[in-house]
Amino acid sequence: MKSVLGIDWESRRRGRLTYDRPVTGDGPRGLIATDVWLARGGRDVLRGATLAVPPGAVTALIAPSGAGKSTLLRCLNRLLEPDRGTITLDGVDVRELPPRELRHRVGLVGQAPVMLDGSVRDNLAYGLRSPLTDDAAAAALTAAGLDDTFAARSAQELSGGERARVALARAVVRRPAALVLDEPTAALDADVARQVGATLRSLAAEGLAVCLAIHDVPFARAVADRVVGLDGLPVPS
Amino acid sequence: MSQAVVQVLAAVAFAGFAALLARRLRLGLEREIVWAAARALLQLAVVGALIAAIFRVPALAVLFVAAMVLAAALTSGGRLRAVAGSRRHAAVAIGVPALSATGLLLLVGAFDTTPRAIIPTVGILIGGAMAATTLTGRRLLEGLREQFDAVETRLSLGDDVRTAVRPVVRGAMVTGLVPAIDQTRSVGLVTLPGTFVGLVLGGASPATAARTQLVVLLALLAVELLAALLISTAIVARLTAPGERVVLPDPAPDETGDRRPWPFPWRRRGGPSG
Repeated sequence: MKSVLGIDWESRRRGRLTYDRPVTGDGPRGLIATDVWLARGGRDVLRGATLAVPPGAVTALIAPSGAGKSTLLRCLNRLLEPDRGTITLDGVDVRELPPRELRHRVGLVGQAPVMLDGSVRDNLAYGLRSPLTDDAAAAALTAAGLDDTFAARSAQELSGGERARVALARAVVRRPAALVLDEPTAALDADVARQVGATLRSLAAEGLAVCLAIHDVPFARAVADRVVGLDGLPVPS
Repeated sequence: MSQAVVQVLAAVAFAGFAALLARRLRLGLEREIVWAAARALLQLAVVGALIAAIFRVPALAVLFVAAMVLAAALTSGGRLRAVAGSRRHAAVAIGVPALSATGLLLLVGAFDTTPRAIIPTVGILIGGAMAATTLTGRRLLEGLREQFDAVETRLSLGDDVRTAVRPVVRGAMVTGLVPAIDQTRSVGLVTLPGTFVGLVLGGASPATAARTQLVVLLALLAVELLAALLISTAIVARLTAPGERVVLPDPAPDETGDRRPWPFPWRRRGGPSG
């Protein structure tokens, strides 16, 4: 029974399955977007966007405001589906991965992160497959530049900068293969931004593929190993 | 002047007063009020004649009930037209609980299996299911738009769509059921509902009227809850795209109640032209 009342029940069922095969293919490692096109509201938002986010490096994506950076990031963990083009994670087309598995492996931190109801710890533990240990919570908070007393605080009472860092900790605690951040320093002061930059570098040193879409070019050059545009080419200094 | 004429004139006067007040307050609802009142007048006149015919030929009751479900589905589905197939989904959400509850009540002998008992009962249940369907569906669409960032955050953290939208669905269902719960809670204190009034006016004892009303009211709670559940499930399924994504529809013009009713095609003052 595939379609009843116009609803594709089979694809809904498949989406709930967990992935029982290793997420590795024969293609290049990391996140690779190739010739991605996407139209929204009758307008081409992405026109052949290309991006390579290799593991073990920080890649900064720089483009003018409204050029589609955020849209491309949302395509990387399939919150948006491109009209054309391919996106692969460690050589596997992301459309072949169960979406929930993909999103565990590609952490996305949005520009204005939403805190879910409950404490910071509740936010860190949300959706984890195994119980969150105190050590893991403390390590994730520390990595995001917060001390472990933050875990008990109400997530709804955090400032913008604190939310940005908790969102980073929430993504890190999942131990993703790739981390994608949209303007991660937008709500941070210079000192905290530097701290977050150092965290991103150390995460990349552990083998993560880290990508940040950012308009702060000096910060991007200070933190990133590669600074590229939406055409995938390096942005000249 | 006969009582019948006085009744109709009094009703028309109240509708006229409401329309004038709405115009004075610039609510933009005067044409909707006049149209709703005109429809009610016409529909009740026709339905009175039809029911008289059904009492003579009981087999017509099936057609009449089907027409009621269809009309309710068109009304509710029209309010949710942003969702593809909204009328079909509304027909299921309204028809399944209302007809099942009526069947159950007849099966256990709570009501006589006569058109005189079936038509009013199923009408009340369909009406309740329609209200719950419309309220829940609209609130769900509004909630998804308002809380889309939170929904996408939950999806990003590994939820499936059903789990990610659950808080929004719960909120919408609560909104959809508030009128039914309030009506049940305040019955006899604030309102004397239709079944009770009708039976008493028709000559039944207050005790019989109260007992019948209780059955209908409590059945309504279950029917409306089921209607809210069915329409939420259908809308969420419709908005779920492959890849555990939620794709919001563009708001339909009448989702905001801004549609000009058919017999009044003139421009709203200060409103959009066309």
